[in-house]
Amino acid sequence: MIEAKNVCMKYGKNGQYALSDISFFIDRGEFAFFVGSSGAGKSTLLKLIIRELTPSAGCLKVFNRDVGRLPRRKLPYLRRNIGMVFQDFRLIEGRTVYDNVAFAMVVIGSSQREIRKRVPQVLTLVGLEDKTKAKVCDLSGGEQQRVGLARALANRPALIVADEPTGNLDPGTTLDIMNLLRSINQRGTTVLVATHNREIVNLFKKRVIYLDGGRMVGDEQKGFYTHVH
Amino acid sequence: MFISGIGYVLRETFKGLFRNRWMCLTSTGVVAVTLLMLGIFMLLNLNVTHITDLVKEQVEIVAYIDDQADRNTVAALRKKLEENPGVQEARYVSSEEHMERLRLQLGRVLEGYDTELDNPLLASFEVRATVPENVSALAAEIENYPGVGEVFYGQDYVESLFSVTRVLQLLGLALMVGLAVTAVFLIAHTIGLTVLMRKKEIAIMKYVGATNWFIRWPFILEGLLMGLVGALIPMVALYYLYQYALDWVAVNNLAFISMLPLQEVILEVGRYLLPLGIGLGILGSGFSIGRFLRV
Repeated sequence: MIEAKNVCMKYGKNGQYALSDISFFIDRGEFAFFVGSSGAGKSTLLKLIIRELTPSAGCLKVFNRDVGRLPRRKLPYLRRNIGMVFQDFRLIEGRTVYDNVAFAMVVIGSSQREIRKRVPQVLTLVGLEDKTKAKVCDLSGGEQQRVGLARALANRPALIVADEPTGNLDPGTTLDIMNLLRSINQRGTTVLVATHNREIVNLFKKRVIYLDGGRMVGDEQKGFYTHVH
Repeated sequence: MFISGIGYVLRETFKGLFRNRWMCLTSTGVVAVTLLMLGIFMLLNLNVTHITDLVKEQVEIVAYIDDQADRNTVAALRKKLEENPGVQEARYVSSEEHMERLRLQLGRVLEGYDTELDNPLLASFEVRATVPENVSALAAEIENYPGVGEVFYGQDYVESLFSVTRVLQLLGLALMVGLAVTAVFLIAHTIGLTVLMRKKEIAIMKYVGATNWFIRWPFILEGLLMGLVGALIPMVALYYLYQYALDWVAVNNLAFISMLPLQEVILEVGRYLLPLGIGLGILGSGFSIGRFLRV
């Protein structure tokens, strides 16, 4: 599903390497954590996967397509297969929960019938079925992130990419959101999570890819996020 | 899918206009005010040009015929004048006609004077130039024709008139270009702000896989509508303003200020303002949104 071969990323012409020589393979249906302190390159790596950035060197394949060579006009179709979840939720505040989720379907041209069917489904999945008509700005942080998750799921993506999805949440809510991500993964969706939350990583015992100063320093199945890394 | 796409664009356009109604009103207002100024200036310029054209048409050369000239010379002179491409019209005025005009002007002063027996006035040709600005060159040319005595064309008056109208027209053009450029910047900037307020929305659309055109269309339609309304408002305002000006001129007996008719003028101004407003609206949103699509 995702294959990185010697991927490097440099910001600007003479800038420092944010990532250097990264190689890994993530299979369909996997759940993987990218861990490391801030500035380790986790976010940069996710931005490369969703093609917000293009690698300076190396080859990064997502769904068997070299994203570095993907023409701009094909980018929207790549993104339709990826659901994105952000630390700051990135919702449209003045609108309702329903509108925020429907929005993702509307802009890719889904019919009203599909939207009316699918939005309640995903909202039920994240446990917000009774908040459909609430304005997003009236929700708690955890609820807002659930809306973000519902939006990411609306178009049935094969891959969910979450950048510090619990960075702004308290520990209890963090666990809820992570459990949701795990159950989404159990239904067959590949899930990638960038985080520096040790407790969660150690609790979940999933694949862990360690980054430090832009280099990959470890890749373990059922890994732990210890002080060594 | 295509139909639902059009439906989406229209729905989004009107929703967008409503949600950002204050910003959209501001943009429309800016378009309207700048186009109104531009329109007022166009009206002034059109009328100044119209009046100077009228004055120019009245400029004529009077070429007096040498009193030694015989019939053949006069006939040859008439032919020469008529064949000259620089001459639009050459009218022969006999010495009797000159006397008749003088009698009309002076009236009783000439009473008891035998104008038929003793007429000191010379016959002349009254010549109108095809291009009024060339009147002095034409006068100099005619002066050398055989059978022509003196030539008059109100030299000083004509030359100062032409320099004044030239300056007025250049000034008008410069001001209009200046206003138009200012309008482009102001409008692009204001619409840019409207788009900026929705930067986040645009970024989210990009993340979930909307194509650039899908994002752009509602903004462009919004720009078009704002530009259209922004041009229609000053057109209506100009209509009433001009009507008022016409009435004012009529009431104050300023008939010598010959103004262009209302409908003609408004149509002429509309021919520029409407496409300009719509174009500014579309370009303004098109340019402003371009920046935010690179996510």
